[in-house]
Amino acid sequence: MPSSDIAPSAAPPVARLIEAFHRLPGIGPKSAQRLTYHLIRMPQDEAEEFAAAILGVKERVVLCDTCANIAEAVECTICGDLQRDSTRICVVEEPLDVVAVERARVYSGKYHVLHGVISPVNGVGPNDLKLRELLERLRDGTVVEVIVATNPNLEGEATAMYIQQLIGPLGVKVTRLARGLPSGSDIEYADDSTLAHALESRAEIPQRQTGTPE
Amino acid sequence: MTSKRRPVTYTTDGVVVRTSNLGEADRIITLITPIHGIVRGVAKAARKPGSKMGGHLDLLKHVSVSVRETRTLHGLSQVSTVNGYRGLRDDLDRFSRGSYISEMAERFSVENGANQPLFRLLLDVLSTLEVSDNPEMAIHFYEMRLLQLSGFAPELSRCVESGVELEPANHLYSADRGGLVNNESRPVGETALLPASLNTIKLLRFLSRADIAQATAMKSGEDENRQLSRILRAQIHHVLDRGLRSEAFMDEVRTRPGHGNGIGRTTSDSSNE
Ligand SMILES: [Zn+2]
Repeated sequence: MPSSDIAPSAAPPVARLIEAFHRLPGIGPKSAQRLTYHLIRMPQDEAEEFAAAILGVKERVVLCDTCANIAEAVECTICGDLQRDSTRICVVEEPLDVVAVERARVYSGKYHVLHGVISPVNGVGPNDLKLRELLERLRDGTVVEVIVATNPNLEGEATAMYIQQLIGPLGVKVTRLARGLPSGSDIEYADDSTLAHALESRAEIPQRQTGTPE
Repeated sequence: MTSKRRPVTYTTDGVVVRTSNLGEADRIITLITPIHGIVRGVAKAARKPGSKMGGHLDLLKHVSVSVRETRTLHGLSQVSTVNGYRGLRDDLDRFSRGSYISEMAERFSVENGANQPLFRLLLDVLSTLEVSDNPEMAIHFYEMRLLQLSGFAPELSRCVESGVELEPANHLYSADRGGLVNNESRPVGETALLPASLNTIKLLRFLSRADIAQATAMKSGEDENRQLSRILRAQIHHVLDRGLRSEAFMDEVRTRPGHGNGIGRTTSDSSNE
């Protein structure tokens, strides 16, 4: 894709940067232009700092040898944390999902990042994911539960099924995040699979001792 | 007077065959529709948990959707599910076949090209695949019908080389020439000839006339199935100029009897062992 398609009238260095921004996920041609012209107006030292940050990410960030999460060394901070429960592994699609689960502050086990999901129409199969590495971690019997936290869509579910079939025979418990109605949503607008899952994983309303009318 | 270029909005049925993320929370959806062919549109905020659209606009779902046409990506809204094909969602084998079917529908469709028979066929095959205990034949039925609908019906009664009527016997199949080749008039230097036994030929002819219920009621042997599969795939590859991405996973799932516990050993990363 020649840069002239996106910025036909811009000077070559400008067009080159617009083109570079445009290649980022979620950046359309308009946003790419806006970001580029913002950078042009930026003070020299700020621009250098920005460029250095990009290079720093590429130079210093690697994938953790154990869980494949983004790390600064061969072992990430979570894998290296001895306080964390090493009998549980939460399997997620992307490094950002680790951040999301951590934000909830309810999980103290370890993680495993697949770096994708099984997506037949995109030619992504089980061998393209970090599944071999996951199996490796289950070998010594420390892990008792694998929590599959892939996205609740068709490819995420299929990946969960695949993991279940892969790990089940090893005697490790495989669980899946509960799926149901999102808080604040209307049943009227729920799709059939969400409603079906919500019904399947319905829970009893706990009995209250007080305030019951006689 | 209204403005000169009023955006066109219409409501259509469609099957979701591709999804990809856009920006923070949007999703780009590719649909196969009966009147508008392939439709690509943006579902705003579809990845947010509270989205009214996200749950409906998932792969292999038959939905009804409102499309607002723009010069680039259309805008999608007002989505509801017509059929969620749950049977394709809780079984890896059916999921892998459903993916193959949807990828093929996408490859055989064009933007703005009405194709009601193709859409009808897609719905029929997905509903059959959801419940049928003969998914193999459902796939072959679909492959044959897609070839027929798109003008590439295999020639099964005359030799594509010599033109003579074929005797009931074992013959060969040429995807390049689009049909059976008489065993005797085997063209010189032709390498890509596939074996087609008398039983395989009978099955091909049967598939070219049967409806989907008849096709999935038909039982066939291992050998015929393998030949049928190779012939139909070769013909599809020839028409599309390349293979389909979803084939590999479908084959992998199919050849894992009892769900073996190893990950396929066929890939490139065997080097570090
Ligand atoms: Zn780690």
